[in-house]
Amino acid sequence: MRRSAPVVLAVAYNSFFESVRSRFFTLAAVFAFTAVYASVLAGVMAVDQEARLLADFGLALIELTALAYALFEASSALPREAETKTIYLVFSRPVPRWAYLAGKLGGALLTAAVMLAVMAAIHVSLLLFRGFDVPPAYAWALAGTFLKLAVIVSFAFFVSLFSTSPVSTLVISGIMWTLGHFAAEARFLAERAGGLKGFLLGAALWLVPNLQLFNVRDGAAALPLGLPAFFSAAAWTLSSYLGALWLLSRKEF
Amino acid sequence: MTAPAVSFSGVEKTYKRPRLLGADYLTAVKDLSFELPAGCVTGLLGLNGAGKTTIMKLLTGLLFPTAGKVRVFGHSPSEGAAKAKVGFLPELPYFPPQVRPGEALAYYGRLSGLSGAALARAAESAMAKTGLEPHAGKRVSEFSKGMLQRLGLAQALLHSPELLVLDEPVSGLDPLAIHDIRGLLAGLNAEGRAIFLSSHSISEVEKLCSRVLIMVKGRLSRSVERAEWEAAHGGLEKIFVEAVK
Repeated sequence: MRRSAPVVLAVAYNSFFESVRSRFFTLAAVFAFTAVYASVLAGVMAVDQEARLLADFGLALIELTALAYALFEASSALPREAETKTIYLVFSRPVPRWAYLAGKLGGALLTAAVMLAVMAAIHVSLLLFRGFDVPPAYAWALAGTFLKLAVIVSFAFFVSLFSTSPVSTLVISGIMWTLGHFAAEARFLAERAGGLKGFLLGAALWLVPNLQLFNVRDGAAALPLGLPAFFSAAAWTLSSYLGALWLLSRKEF
Repeated sequence: MTAPAVSFSGVEKTYKRPRLLGADYLTAVKDLSFELPAGCVTGLLGLNGAGKTTIMKLLTGLLFPTAGKVRVFGHSPSEGAAKAKVGFLPELPYFPPQVRPGEALAYYGRLSGLSGAALARAAESAMAKTGLEPHAGKRVSEFSKGMLQRLGLAQALLHSPELLVLDEPVSGLDPLAIHDIRGLLAGLNAEGRAIFLSSHSISEVEKLCSRVLIMVKGRLSRSVERAEWEAAHGGLEKIFVEAVK
């Protein structure tokens, strides 16, 4: 395990720099900057709720932009390496598959974290430039977004190992992300439905992460993330990683 | 007698292609048994679809045999101990266009367990052996096919492997690049490394190898020693044509 740590770091570092150097990252960054700037315009139109709108709209855009980029990267990372045969140069070496997968996931999450940090820096600059305070739970909101990304990116890695194309991975992961935001409502419906229907819906919900746990800004007051959010993110990320590892260890190239 | 670098015994590889209802099965190699002696250059000849690439992938642990046993220096090809002794050059290797050769080699060197000064020395030595030193400052996007092939060889040499597995090492190269690669491989063999290479070019195999395996439709049709094709009228080409017809 200790001898594989440099391999994990090498794969993560390589994955991160490949992402940063690729044109898509530049395009996504330009899009993110534009989108955050657009939130200023929307804020001007909100009259007396300008500060609130500017903060919420900016955070939402940051999340969506980071999600789009991270999902695109996670959906295509492993298929791209197989398609270009780069994977031959990796797995013909003494590289454990768990270490490769951990490195790839680590690289994707590092890219997502950097992207969040860059967009947040721009957003905060815009807030300060407009003369508003940064909301007290701002850092927690970003942390929540990162946890959401960790859950969905690891899920996308898992799906990419059995789906037929990066597009289908993207669609399946996008559906999971959407369902995850309605998990609490679905659970309520399952309880109300009762009987077999309620049981089946309740059972199916065990396969969907409750992403609302990570939404700090949904709270009436600015509450930081609770411990369940961190445990939930860790459990979902680890489960997806183990599922992906199970598939990868059986995969031939 | 020294232990063989590679041994295949009764190996079969069948690919499964899942369908909506059931699956299609394609047997790529069947009942394959041979040994590669350490320190020798062995060639693998065959028409398209004869199973050459499948053999290379089985040997490097990228594919798992459906039946039979593959051993590389006495280990399963999936084991780290086997992989540490093998350098693999796939057909048309890919490197990200924006990287420089030193960066690519540093990455693959780290994956081979090298670090610090040892990694720097290994990358420098691999670049020198493959003649990439004058191009160290260029990006891969500026590389010709021949230079890419050299970089592919350099990454395979990084960890000083005892066995080099080369899938079509001169495919698509111009005559000068082929001449250079041939010289490089001869030099590596002189250092005591075993080389196993597949090719469509009979003349290249004839020049480099001491033994050639001829594959026909997934089966080993013939194993020919250099003395045999040198004595035969028409050389290796005639033996190959007779074997595949």
